[in-house]
Amino acid sequence: MVIKTPISKIFLRGIWPALLMIFVAGAAYSAGDGVVQTYKNATAPFDDEKQVDAVLSLPVSTVQVTEIYPGGIFWTESRKDKIQRFKCSECHNNKPVRVARAAEIAHGEILLAHGSEARPLSCFSCHNKEERDFLETEDGMQVDMDHTYQLCGQCHFRQKKDWVGGAHGKRISYWAGQRVVKNCTGCHNPHSPRFEKRWPAIYSPPLSKNE
Amino acid sequence: MDPRKNKIDQNSEEKDCRQSQGCDRRAFLKGAARVAAFGGAAMLAGCGGGMLGSKEELSLRWKEYFKKNYRLMTQEEKDETVRRLERLAKISNNVNVQISSAAPIEGVLYGYAFSVTRCKGYMECVAACVKENNLDRKSSMQYIRIFEMEHGQMSPEVGNAKFYHPVPVDDHFYMGVQCNHCQNAPCVKACPVKATWQEPDGIVVVDYDWCIGCRYCIAACPYYGRRFNWNEPVVPRDEMTKKQHYLGNRLRHRGKTEKCTFCIQRTRAGRLPACAEACPTGARVFGNLLDPDSEIRFVLKNKKVFRWKEDLGTDPKFWYFMD
Repeated sequence: MVIKTPISKIFLRGIWPALLMIFVAGAAYSAGDGVVQTYKNATAPFDDEKQVDAVLSLPVSTVQVTEIYPGGIFWTESRKDKIQRFKCSECHNNKPVRVARAAEIAHGEILLAHGSEARPLSCFSCHNKEERDFLETEDGMQVDMDHTYQLCGQCHFRQKKDWVGGAHGKRISYWAGQRVVKNCTGCHNPHSPRFEKRWPAIYSPPLSKNE
Repeated sequence: MDPRKNKIDQNSEEKDCRQSQGCDRRAFLKGAARVAAFGGAAMLAGCGGGMLGSKEELSLRWKEYFKKNYRLMTQEEKDETVRRLERLAKISNNVNVQISSAAPIEGVLYGYAFSVTRCKGYMECVAACVKENNLDRKSSMQYIRIFEMEHGQMSPEVGNAKFYHPVPVDDHFYMGVQCNHCQNAPCVKACPVKATWQEPDGIVVVDYDWCIGCRYCIAACPYYGRRFNWNEPVVPRDEMTKKQHYLGNRLRHRGKTEKCTFCIQRTRAGRLPACAEACPTGARVFGNLLDPDSEIRFVLKNKKVFRWKEDLGTDPKFWYFMD
């Protein structure tokens, strides 16, 4: 007498190799040559100076940042040479100012909109009251105007961490060569740091007529 | 010219062809066409021949017509075609352009990250791209589209790319879409004549002179990354970017496909693409994926990133990230 194996059991026996194949194929695919795996395998630092010869070293006037990023030291745009009325101590020097409406003429364009509405910042939240050429952190550290990130970073520490690493802010002109990035104040107006509403630079026409 | 001599030339070329082992169909046709052209040129010389431009232009265009696919060219051939194209630009358009044929930099794989948190929809990138890449002003061609999307929307397909009002709008975010330079690019597979391919540094490029304009690649691209020249492109002479690359922003012609090349003429010289340089908010991060210290690697390691339509398996090198 021949005992017939039920169809369902034959099917079950067949399913194991099939499952195994799916699993192996899946593993092969996930460990495959995708771009994510490619960059994760690349751990040797890239020598820009050797490979890219057309890059200017330090394309703008810069200062060396006091922090280091994974690739070492980097630079940021200088700030003091871009402030119109620097040095501040030329006027703010403990002598009385004799010009009428001097504050309005010198600083009338400043619109202070920094911090929450309930607790807005004032001038001396950031500016040093005694040494006017410098800024001052909450705990009284004197900060040079070229190194404003030290000041901004005390509240915006997440942004500062991203800025040091490269996920906030931007590099200037080159992706290769010595790393030169924009300062905080290169993009944000320190007195009203939010980007303002404005019209786009260009208009995108519809892709097709019936769109 | 003596027609009999022509005939002899042709015979001798055909014989050369049959004798030499490495003679393929292209070389044969090239030889035959050259012979035919001698006849044609003789006829033109007889009736003035002012209509098709100067003798120099004619000869340059002739040589251009029979050049190889860029990938098969030796460096000498690349230099020659570059010289011809520069001269032709001078003759026909009266512009002095410098066309580069710079090779990919070793140890570089370009990657791009776009912050959907930071983009405010100012469209400075689009304007810079149009200018840098000599895009057709007549049909207002643009490589980049910025989609205005409501919070919670996940795909640009439901976003609005035709906005023109003060930006940013409250409760909206902006998502830029351009060529994703897929590592497993469907457009490359779709091309029937191998006019588009991926360079070793990861940039997907088009040989504009090899493209036959079938637009299969446009149909194959899931990201709407490619554009077609329905008309002869118009670029004002004084707005033209003179520093060009053979595979990048050199002038295209009608019936050719083109696309974002990560500004190959800039990036291979170490510069940032025009869009990344123009961005006023720092939403665009560009760099070398193979460099563990690069900004792009920092973003990929430390931020929440996603790739658009990752499930298609196209393996894009264009990430979106958020804070």
